[in-house]
Amino acid sequence: MGTSVQVTPLCGVYNENPLSYLVSIDDFNFLIDCGWHDHFDPTILQPLSKVASTIDAVLLSYPDTLHLGALPYAVKQLGLSAPVFTTEPTYRLGLLTMYDQYLSRKQVSDFDLFTLDDIDSAFQKVTRLTYSQNHHLSGKGEGIVIAPHVAGHLLGGTVWKITKDGEDVIYAVDLNHRKERHLNGTVLASFVRPAVLITDAYNALNNQPYRRGEKENEFGETIKKTLGAGGNVLLPVDTAGRVFELILILEQYWTDKSLNYPIFFLTYVASSTIDYVKSFLEWMSDSIAKSFEQNRENPFLLKNVTFLINKSELDNAPDGPKVVIASMASLEVGFSHDIFVEWASDAKNLVLFTERGQFATLARILQADPPPKAVKVAMSKRVPLVGEELIAYEEEQNRIKKEETLKATLIKEETKASHGADIDASDPMVVDVSNTHALPDVAGPHGGGYRDILIDGFVPSSTSVAPMFPFYENTFEWDDFGEVINPDDYVIKDEDMDQTGMHVGGYLDAKFDEGSTSMMLDTKPSKVVSNELTVQVKCLLIYMDFEGRSDGRSIKSILSHVAPLKLVLVHGSAEATEHLKQHCLKHVCPHVYAPHIEETIDVTSDLCAYKVQLSEKLMSNVLFKKLGDYEIAWVDAEVAKTDGGTLSLNPCSTTAPPHKSVLVGDLKMADFKQFLASKGIQVEFAGGALRCGEYVTIRKVGDASQKGGASGPQQILIEGPLCEDYYKIRDYLYSQFFLL
Amino acid sequence: MASTGPLQPLKRRDSSATREDDQLIIIPLGAGNEVGRSCVYMSYKGKTVLFDCGIHLAYSGMAALPYFDEIDPSMIDVLLITHFHLDHAASLPYFLEKTTFKGRVFMTYPTKAIYKLLLTDYVKVSKVSVEDMLFNEQDINRSMDKIEVIDFHQTVEVNGIRFWCYTAGHVLGAAMFMVDIAGVRVLYTGDYSREEDRHLRAAETPLFSPDVCIIESTYGVRQHQPQHVREKRFTDVIHTTISEGGRVLIPVFALGRAQELLLILDEYWSTHPELQNIPIYYASPLAKRCLSVYETYLHSMNDRIRSKHAAKSNPFVFKYISPIKSIENFKDVGPSVVMASPGGLQSGLSRQLFDMWCSDRKNACVLPGYLVEGTLAKTIINEPKEVTLMNGLTAPLNMQVHNISFSAHADSAQTSAFLEELLPNNIILVHGEAKEMGRLKQKLIGQFADRNVKIFNPKNCQSVEMYFNSQKMAKTIGRLGERTPEVGETVSGLLVKKGFTYQIMAPDDLHIFSQLSTANITQRITIPYAGAFSVLNHRLKQIFESVESSTDEESGIPMLRVHERVTVKQDSEKLISLHWSSDPVSDMVSDSIVALVVNINREIPKVVVEAEAIKTEEENGKKVEKVIYALLVSLFGDVKAGENGKLVITVDGNVAELDKQSGDVVSENEGLKERIRTAFQRIQSAVKPIPLSAS
Repeated sequence: MGTSVQVTPLCGVYNENPLSYLVSIDDFNFLIDCGWHDHFDPTILQPLSKVASTIDAVLLSYPDTLHLGALPYAVKQLGLSAPVFTTEPTYRLGLLTMYDQYLSRKQVSDFDLFTLDDIDSAFQKVTRLTYSQNHHLSGKGEGIVIAPHVAGHLLGGTVWKITKDGEDVIYAVDLNHRKERHLNGTVLASFVRPAVLITDAYNALNNQPYRRGEKENEFGETIKKTLGAGGNVLLPVDTAGRVFELILILEQYWTDKSLNYPIFFLTYVASSTIDYVKSFLEWMSDSIAKSFEQNRENPFLLKNVTFLINKSELDNAPDGPKVVIASMASLEVGFSHDIFVEWASDAKNLVLFTERGQFATLARILQADPPPKAVKVAMSKRVPLVGEELIAYEEEQNRIKKEETLKATLIKEETKASHGADIDASDPMVVDVSNTHALPDVAGPHGGGYRDILIDGFVPSSTSVAPMFPFYENTFEWDDFGEVINPDDYVIKDEDMDQTGMHVGGYLDAKFDEGSTSMMLDTKPSKVVSNELTVQVKCLLIYMDFEGRSDGRSIKSILSHVAPLKLVLVHGSAEATEHLKQHCLKHVCPHVYAPHIEETIDVTSDLCAYKVQLSEKLMSNVLFKKLGDYEIAWVDAEVAKTDGGTLSLNPCSTTAPPHKSVLVGDLKMADFKQFLASKGIQVEFAGGALRCGEYVTIRKVGDASQKGGASGPQQILIEGPLCEDYYKIRDYLYSQFFLL
Repeated sequence: MASTGPLQPLKRRDSSATREDDQLIIIPLGAGNEVGRSCVYMSYKGKTVLFDCGIHLAYSGMAALPYFDEIDPSMIDVLLITHFHLDHAASLPYFLEKTTFKGRVFMTYPTKAIYKLLLTDYVKVSKVSVEDMLFNEQDINRSMDKIEVIDFHQTVEVNGIRFWCYTAGHVLGAAMFMVDIAGVRVLYTGDYSREEDRHLRAAETPLFSPDVCIIESTYGVRQHQPQHVREKRFTDVIHTTISEGGRVLIPVFALGRAQELLLILDEYWSTHPELQNIPIYYASPLAKRCLSVYETYLHSMNDRIRSKHAAKSNPFVFKYISPIKSIENFKDVGPSVVMASPGGLQSGLSRQLFDMWCSDRKNACVLPGYLVEGTLAKTIINEPKEVTLMNGLTAPLNMQVHNISFSAHADSAQTSAFLEELLPNNIILVHGEAKEMGRLKQKLIGQFADRNVKIFNPKNCQSVEMYFNSQKMAKTIGRLGERTPEVGETVSGLLVKKGFTYQIMAPDDLHIFSQLSTANITQRITIPYAGAFSVLNHRLKQIFESVESSTDEESGIPMLRVHERVTVKQDSEKLISLHWSSDPVSDMVSDSIVALVVNINREIPKVVVEAEAIKTEEENGKKVEKVIYALLVSLFGDVKAGENGKLVITVDGNVAELDKQSGDVVSENEGLKERIRTAFQRIQSAVKPIPLSAS
């Protein structure tokens, strides 16, 4: 029997919830994607929490919240400890996405599901792979090979191919088969006949025809019109996803039309995002790679776009029409939320959505048709504590500090068995601490630091009477030749150079510049004030599809081309899932599954196989015929055992019984028509059959469109009266096949 | 086999073509017992790979090329370039544009970007006559379209050749290629270094042990000084010279190590404020152009650079180093440090400066790279009294000359350690001077004495041949694979080969496991026939062994089934129709039926005389004998009748006896025996009457 494969959705089936699936291959548990939504509701992670500790490896496919948002939380709270695999851009942009989410959240709420450190430690588990890199797992997963492949849609987006014993399990969601400005199309179509394909039904019902040039032009026109009329344009986007495509489109449009309206890209991590993207050229489209190789033109050296990491910078920008690209796309939190509230009431402004909002978010509500006249939004703000609250906070903090110090000293006391007077001696220092802390502006971000130094450094030794700085006397040993030397002091250390270099580093320094704003928040006493207000939506709301996902029709044709032996559908509304399931049952393969949450389905292939060795003797008698990538031959062989105990095939000792001849080839009627026409035969299609010459007809019998396991060989019928044409056409027909 | 070089033996082996097929041939077309023009040819199982395509820096024109005449460029499937240095990549435009090569070329992203800049510069600065030019700028631009890119670790498959690359250290984008053809792995290191420096990662150790390792031996058995010692010597020499009022010339190759030296100098200057008024010049517009490449492909560099980038400081923006374009822009006033290309002092700015400064005792020249045989740099290291200037005059050589090697090639210790980890069965040394290479070979022979490792150091065009007895394994799948057969049973099915994997399957499963599909063609032909259907029945029975008559269940019209293959139906009084499913035998049967029907239509039926039939049978027997004999003669030539009706076949002195009745063959030569038996089986099935059971 083949490799055992089980799929259990943990989230994101029959709806548009975040994606998270458990795929077990011979009892090795892969968690593929670990998504969360912009509401960060822990209840949807319930199924994940049950299995998190049993996971052996995590595979991430895209750098957005829906695909990896829950990773820090799962590592911190749910006991997920497996290694994580993803591509370099997914790792880096995913990290930035999570920073941005955290900082946006922290700004408006007492967000405590995970911290920046949790994000860092979760992402430190990541092993980065390049596209088409075959990574061999070791240990429990011995024999399993994983490889990321180009998926399109987002930078670093991945189609995962998991191979064991020659059987492929492919996970491919949110694909885009079209080449875009910054990305290549997916290579999914190059995989044929995988044992299992897991894909999404998200776009199954969306059959928007695609015209890139027109669409981009319309996009530019719409923005230009609003700007021309003195309005502002808000483009709500995700931190590091589709925004790169939009930026490139705008850059190009601005250059072509020589516009000089300012464009701002505003997220908490905007400038590092672009910095990193600049060095990800090898992950982008061929045309970008080419233009860099030829002319060293980096398309992300932007001329018209300014990066901001702070809303005050935007407020300081000169008045007048502008375009602001801001996170998050859901409008739930982040700068986009605040800007929307500010701009919504002005009819001149435009909010241009480029992707469908997540379910039940403000963006989704606004995308309804017709759009709502007014929406209720929660406005929250983090304000520094003042007056009584501040005093109360400080007292509280002092109390905590005091208790801690007390505890610390008590412990020390126990271990050192020191005098009781010490407690009194340390008291003045504690007072000192609270004094520094009462002046938050002075203490600034270093408040914590001071505290540590003061407490740690100032614990007087048990023998001293009064507190004093620690002082150590250096004693020298002497012998007959002078001071005794330690030879180790004189060894030149090889690493010296390394250290000087490394000091600058600090692995995740990137966050500090953007993070510093919130670092302040963390240390400065502050609180969240929220109120709900109703915003009159007077501004123009437009939705244009720049999601970069393949449309339903293309998905269907890709699926029938890939023709998996078994197909698992996930992620997509219930209707879309059902629709695609019915379609695939009819046209792709007979085994289509659409499991519910926590429903385990077994997609173990019922493939039977055994291995044999082909003896040299046999091979020297085999005549291969070449058919595209394949070479094919008929063999009759006798089974024998080799010395090693494996089966081998030798030539038959007796003449093999004649076998039924096999015609191999795929006849496309339209192509054949062309072929006949080129041979000077009159051909036309009539009633589903191909009429060749005057009398002969050729037709295909049965449903030939289905490529899956259910259908048999093609049935072709040729009929006609006895005449020369008949034999001529039959010969042409034969020439389309290989006879074995 | 693709290669027909004169040094390659062309003798045919008796033991059939399969052994030829298992032969792996490696021929250095350049860099065999020399440094320069790297180019290694490899061929196995009819697949051909060429590694690198460089020129020799000490020669010019056609003489600098590798020995391309030895091979047929049109047979090469894949050409892999390890890094952008001229001795590894500079004959590529020539090879792509001026030969019959039509395979695919791969290199890494940084290599491709720098390749273009570097070669364009090379074409501009090389001072050779037009007819000696191997290629021009257009050739380079055209070659860019043909070059494909590969990322580190990315696996690519071309024509059944799978390959991927590992970080090699050495320079930005340098790669080691691992090629896998039908399970035999060959690692080509190119130039590599196992030492991490200021910006590059050390060479990786591949996860798999290769069967063959083609490895550079530039430094032979020499050992590098530790990194910090070299750096100290380097900075000390510069510091002393400057403080004594001298000038320092550092001739470097424009790209690669130069960036490392700049990082060292910039760091040294920043820690020594007293030097900060001494200018450092870097005279290479090319390097300036390449800077954006260095800034972009940071992911190919080490963590130190990447974390600096993360901390928002561009490590390649230097504080104390200023670029100069040419000697005209250079104001030679007082002490200075100038880094200039080329590294071998052949011509260009470094040579101009050398000519200016060489006679002053205060000045110093620091040679940081590997010194190629035949260049001025190699000459002055032996401190001759006089040197010839570019204008032909001689001048005394008074400046101090230091050779402090920063070239990122593996030294003896690194090579030993690397091979110890890899444990390849075969080691082929390339890219090293003959003497050094010989010493390294001796050292490695000692190191691997107790293990079965073969070590070769072929000269240019000298081929190394190895045999890999790869066993072909097939997977029997689908319906055929439902039950594992016992010994002695037969397995019949389609053998499908894709790349180097084999699968055996039933014809009905073909469309499930491959993109191929099978088809049935049903034929229906109508023939006018006015005679009685029973006449047809009678006539058919005279010819065919099996004719069954019945009536069609639906329409009730009479029909005949001939040989269980072809159905003859009487559609109407005037028409009969033939139905059958296409295959060669059925087509033949139907053709004879058609001929018969046409005959009946044309003439009055004749009664066949019985005697004739018997005679025919006898004649047939003789005819068959004759045909078999004639066919065997045409196949094997010398065929004589032997005893007991046996045939004696002699081919090249090998004798075989064939029993015509049983088909048994007796011969001492297995190959011949097998061939005769197969031929006889085929002949027999061609002349024998159609068996009834054939369905």
